[in-house]
Amino acid sequence: MSKQYKVVHCTINGKEVEQIVDVRASLTDMLRNDFRLTSVKKGCEVGECGACTVIIDGEGFNSCIYLAVWAEGKEIWTLEGLTGPGGELSDIQQAFIDEGAIQCGFCTPGFIMTSWEIVNSGKEYSDDELRKLLSGHLCRCTGYENIFRAVKKTMLRHLGKFEEAEKVNSQGIADYPEPMPFM
Amino acid sequence: MATQLLMAKDPAEAIGSKTASAAFIAGGTEVNRLGSDIAAKADTLISLKKCSGLADIRKEDGCLTIGSMCTFQQLIESDDVPAYLKEAAHFMASRTKRNMATIGGNIAAARSDSYLIPALHAAGAVLNICCKEGECASVAIADYLDEQDKYTDALIVSVSVPTDIVLVSKRYANTAQSHAVLTASAALRDGGLHMAGAVKNVGILHFCDLEKAFMDDPDISEDAIVKMVRECTGLHTSDDMFGSDDYKRYLIGVTVYDLHRQLRGKEV
Repeated sequence: MSKQYKVVHCTINGKEVEQIVDVRASLTDMLRNDFRLTSVKKGCEVGECGACTVIIDGEGFNSCIYLAVWAEGKEIWTLEGLTGPGGELSDIQQAFIDEGAIQCGFCTPGFIMTSWEIVNSGKEYSDDELRKLLSGHLCRCTGYENIFRAVKKTMLRHLGKFEEAEKVNSQGIADYPEPMPFM
Repeated sequence: MATQLLMAKDPAEAIGSKTASAAFIAGGTEVNRLGSDIAAKADTLISLKKCSGLADIRKEDGCLTIGSMCTFQQLIESDDVPAYLKEAAHFMASRTKRNMATIGGNIAAARSDSYLIPALHAAGAVLNICCKEGECASVAIADYLDEQDKYTDALIVSVSVPTDIVLVSKRYANTAQSHAVLTASAALRDGGLHMAGAVKNVGILHFCDLEKAFMDDPDISEDAIVKMVRECTGLHTSDDMFGSDDYKRYLIGVTVYDLHRQLRGKEV
């Protein structure tokens, strides 16, 4: 059975590109195989785990179930696009490191893309809303609290609420006891 | 396996291109899933993504007409969409997925764990459908689901839902992200009670016997309802990874009883 190909024009991480793709290819495949943007992870491939999340025209999408040909004319951002010209990390990436929100790292790029959309929305979300906004992502390592704290702190800093952001750090989200020091 | 893709520009082109071996693809959450039956059986996919005029939401005298390509997230963000439909759209926990999944796609897929169908069914939603012969028709969602084979080449253009009804829903799943074992809705409209549910691996069910039981005796006990469901021979539940036959029947019974109680509490 013959395959059908199409040319896709889009902007990826601020750069205009043109690519010939198999019409059945997913955006994940195009980004990973043709552009080597390997932060876009292949996880469940059914749109459940969120590891493949990219930002398309300002909104988060599961790229594993998004056809590459649908990207025609779209503006796409992946994790690679968040770093500065010298490789400096963005504030949300740094917050993930500072809060220990990363263990194996597989879910991290997807989480960060959704978080990036949240912190750049200019809105202050409640704890419940933040949890719901992050609910399209699965993490089997961290237990989510550190991720939640990284997102909340960065959101507050973007809103100029630096003191509140620091309180999130010292008070914790839900009055968890301080961990025991290593002996 | 699908190897060809047609990007339809408008509904007429999409319908005109539909053959027995082609399938429509709306948001992609169902067809593009790994292991999707639809993509495996079709040789051509007809994408509705760029179809014009399918994503509008219009208000018309006590009724709302929602374009079939409206995403779940659009339903949630719209000021016009009634709360019961927003609640059903929220059953899909992932926002990234809600940005893709469409109301028309969810109806056409008719999954046994459908997010929206129980609410739309109980609400008496009407589907505006266009067929290959150029005919357009308005079909009650219940009739569409009963005779879905008749509509395989037809395209759902829009969905009309009432805005002035009382409707309550419940969904049971292991986690917010998991497939639901049961989603059920009950509505008070047109002077009567309407109940529908989606039972995983069983299908979409219209609980007409239970509606009748509640109408005949609004104070019927929970035990009597559970007993009715347990003894119902027309219900083909079975043991599977989502639960035993008995568990599913019990869950249906207690859920419709709770929904009815909630509705009575909301009656004015």
